Amino acid sequence: MPLLERRFTIKANDFVKAGEVSIEVQGILKKIGFDPTLVRRVSICAYEAEMNVVMHGGDGEMMLHVEPEEIDLVCSDQGGGIEDIELALLPGYSTARPEHQEMGFGAGMGLPNIKKNASSLDVYSRKGEGTRLIMKFEVGDEH
Amino acid sequence: MSTDDGTSAGRPVHYVEVDEDLCNGCVLCMKACPMKAIRLRDHVARIEGVCIDCMECARVCPRGAIRGVSSVDVSLGDRSEDAVCPSTVLYSQFGEDFLPNDVLLGLRSMGFRYPFDQAYTAEIYEFAMELFIREQRKSENPPFPLISAVCPAVVQIIAYRFPSLLRHIPPLATPREIVTREAKQRLSAKHGRSPEEIQVLHVVPCPAMMIREADQTNRDRAVGINAVYDELKKSIQEIEEDRVLHYSGGIGLGWGISGGESAGIQAKSIAVSGIHETIRYLERVEMGLLSHIEFLECRICTEGCVGGSFNVADRYQTKQLVQRYVRMFGEERRVKQKYLMKLYREGWFQTERQVLPIRTENIDMTIAERIEQQKRVESILRELPKKHCGMCGSPDCRTFAEDVVAGKARLDNCTQLEHLGGKGVIT
Repeated sequence: MPLLERRFTIKANDFVKAGEVSIEVQGILKKIGFDPTLVRRVSICAYEAEMNVVMHGGDGEMMLHVEPEEIDLVCSDQGGGIEDIELALLPGYSTARPEHQEMGFGAGMGLPNIKKNASSLDVYSRKGEGTRLIMKFEVGDEH
Repeated sequence: MSTDDGTSAGRPVHYVEVDEDLCNGCVLCMKACPMKAIRLRDHVARIEGVCIDCMECARVCPRGAIRGVSSVDVSLGDRSEDAVCPSTVLYSQFGEDFLPNDVLLGLRSMGFRYPFDQAYTAEIYEFAMELFIREQRKSENPPFPLISAVCPAVVQIIAYRFPSLLRHIPPLATPREIVTREAKQRLSAKHGRSPEEIQVLHVVPCPAMMIREADQTNRDRAVGINAVYDELKKSIQEIEEDRVLHYSGGIGLGWGISGGESAGIQAKSIAVSGIHETIRYLERVEMGLLSHIEFLECRICTEGCVGGSFNVADRYQTKQLVQRYVRMFGEERRVKQKYLMKLYREGWFQTERQVLPIRTENIDMTIAERIEQQKRVESILRELPKKHCGMCGSPDCRTFAEDVVAGKARLDNCTQLEHLGGKGVIT
């Protein structure tokens, strides 16, 4: 089974570079020639996850796994963690700081948006111990 | 203005050429190309990939070795029977002493008896676009932001790099398509010929606006503004005729500058110009970040079509003049709204243009094989120096790795790879 793996590092509070990891993920998937809608869904999730790390996560990393039948993104960080995961999955719930909201981020749509676009989402987090998101995308899964 | 299907017959046509005698094989154009379409072969730049006629290469070439192909033989055919449809940018090329009507009269005295005012059809288009946006607002999942199809280079970028955004391109005819249709209908009635027999000559500000159809069934032609400029300037100065050919208001005349299109459409819109900004915004649309915007106007040239490379006048002076026209002719709509509403309901504004994704990956390979190929790209890339010097003939290390995997380059073309057996020379 051919498996392509790439690891990207994400730096906290680097709003200049923010988004570059998702654009690179997008580029790789486009080059392979996956369906454009699937690529779009993966990159939306990559972007939301990346922005979460930049805003709340401390430093972190994104792992991309590519197989013919499935694409996985694993985004982990050493940030403050999520106190109430169920609450964080509700649209509009946000703990973003006002300065982030001024920049147009932190509308509370990050995790809900990932949930909407990924085939499956698992969130592992504890207050003070960082967060790990596992996003899976089945190829051919109509969304 | 249809887009070629790049899947089978190879690359879309383009109107950029390299003068091999002037080119000294420096890396500037190759690095400037946003589509990574240029390679250096035997110290000469060659356009090998998908070229969208954006002219970034020509703008950076210090030797003037890259040019847009602007001329067709305008003496061909009968000037007097056919239509000429100049881009609105043409109106602003002759300084403030000559108004749009003078330019159209000038074309007439050159022998083109039927000039059509595209600024007026621009206003018609804007009205139709507004109706379309209103309709979309009511739909459940509107493809916002709609992306203007007016700049053909933008459409090509979407077809090649952002195929998932093709659904954001509204299925409406552009001003150029509308004016072509109008001209053919009117002249066919006048001359008692079929619309297909009527030829339309477009006078355009850039290579991207040249005729892109690969097949020869379409008899329309295009010519760059610079190719007719001298003769037209002379004939404008000698106009004797007095008649009205220009009907548009300021809104239609404002089209040459960035923001000119969206200014005439009542919607939440933004206007972006320049190729790098355009790509940046398309990336953001693809990430779903701009869905609160209803209409996105992108122009590949900085400041809009006044920056097109076939123009003769300076883009900033031209911009000034266009802004003056907008004030002079006023911002109110001159089109007959009731009549257009009826046409809209009848589907008159639907376009026949079909934009298909331009695919360059090997379609005979399975996804698994392409993942394998991408893995090889990544592993070669890890070994490369990442200095992106371009001496291998590819624009950067990643593209070089891709070229190696695709069999278009050899690893020892890399001059920096001595420990891997590179010879330190370009082969």
